[in-house]
Amino acid sequence: MTASTPLYEIENLVCSYGAEPVLQIGELAIPAEGVTAFVGHNGSGKSTLLKAMAFLLKPVSGTIRFRGENTENKEGRLRKETPLLLQDPYLLKRSVFENIAYGLRARGDTVNLRGRVEEALEMVGLPPEFGKREWYMLSGGESRRVALASRLVLRTPVLLLDEPTANVDEENALLMARVIKEAGEKWGTVSLVASHDTQWLEGLASRRISMRRGRIENITC
Amino acid sequence: MNYISDGFFQGLGLIFSMDDEVWTAVITTLKLTGLSMGATLAVGVPMGFILGYFSFPGKKTVRIAVDTLLSIPTVVVGLLVYAFISNRGPFGGYGLLFSLPGMAIGQSVLALPIVAALTASAVENVDDRLRLTLLTLGAGGRRLALSTLWESRHQILMAAVTAYGRITSEVGVSMMIGGNIKWRTRTVTTAITLETGKGEFSTGIALGVMLLLLSFILNWSLSALRRRTAS
Repeated sequence: MTASTPLYEIENLVCSYGAEPVLQIGELAIPAEGVTAFVGHNGSGKSTLLKAMAFLLKPVSGTIRFRGENTENKEGRLRKETPLLLQDPYLLKRSVFENIAYGLRARGDTVNLRGRVEEALEMVGLPPEFGKREWYMLSGGESRRVALASRLVLRTPVLLLDEPTANVDEENALLMARVIKEAGEKWGTVSLVASHDTQWLEGLASRRISMRRGRIENITC
Repeated sequence: MNYISDGFFQGLGLIFSMDDEVWTAVITTLKLTGLSMGATLAVGVPMGFILGYFSFPGKKTVRIAVDTLLSIPTVVVGLLVYAFISNRGPFGGYGLLFSLPGMAIGQSVLALPIVAALTASAVENVDDRLRLTLLTLGAGGRRLALSTLWESRHQILMAAVTAYGRITSEVGVSMMIGGNIKWRTRTVTTAITLETGKGEFSTGIALGVMLLLLSFILNWSLSALRRRTAS
């Protein structure tokens, strides 16, 4: 991979949940820098595209190249580099600490586990003691922060976020934007965000990709 | 009607005076159900997990068979197990008839479909987001399967409590395979049947109270689990 190699190169991608295709993309390249936002109404295909880019959804046809690499039959390994924060995040039925540590344990990467979990907690504005709380003790906003921390702790080259500000208050929305920027500055993490909230995206996203009915409408930088 | 109230108070007296006959039946029941549950969970949870998690040819048929076995009468189980472990049966040489291990086999056969069916349902009905979350966090293969099982643990515990309730209250298997032998294979339920037949209501009531107490503890645990799972 060279400095100019796009992060993702998508060609003739078709995804569907049944007979009808819900996503049809002819050609799309996403650069390996900054924050890319996907905007569009409900049903425009933003979430489906993020799932495909997180290698959680197998396309019906087409190719996705990741950092110049063909991704076919490599989904298991590539998923470890492309964590997705779901629109309605799910917390495992364990403590906050175990939720955040899960991804690191799955990678067998347990050196300084406590320190890294606490750092991720701090990034999302939660104190280290918060790690002891159980999943059912958290509010909606806290759950979302913990879910974000469980992705941040992995320090992956990419972070995919599906509607991170849906149903969150202004304080949490600002925190999300700050954390996305911080991850980029600290670890060079490139964030791809699907959002309705065009106001929130201002000053955060370096390029916007507008989507409509499963297709790309236009790209603005 | 006095004999009922007299029987109740005499029954309480037998419990508090640590009557040997009552307490031996209670301890036998606890030993037996412990053994049965150990075997049931060891086989039923993996079986239910395989049934709920994986897709394989004939899965629907197996599922229907397991669901049908949920309502199998205890005497039918007793009859089948009796046939297999009696002297003339294929396992007659192991001396299992009229023994606690023999009774445990019968009770396990009774409880197995409950644990397997409820575990399968628990695994099938996990939140759709769980699989996506585990995958996106980097889980795969064995870790994905075990984490899914772990996330279903409260429902599996409920399945175990339900199965425990079924085997603690059954009479057919214990009577047919255990033979209701005093000090050896007499359980709370077989003792109640016998004592009631003899007109000894006080002992029957004492045993009934113990059984109710056991049932209360089980249901209390179940409702605590339900509250926790719902939260």
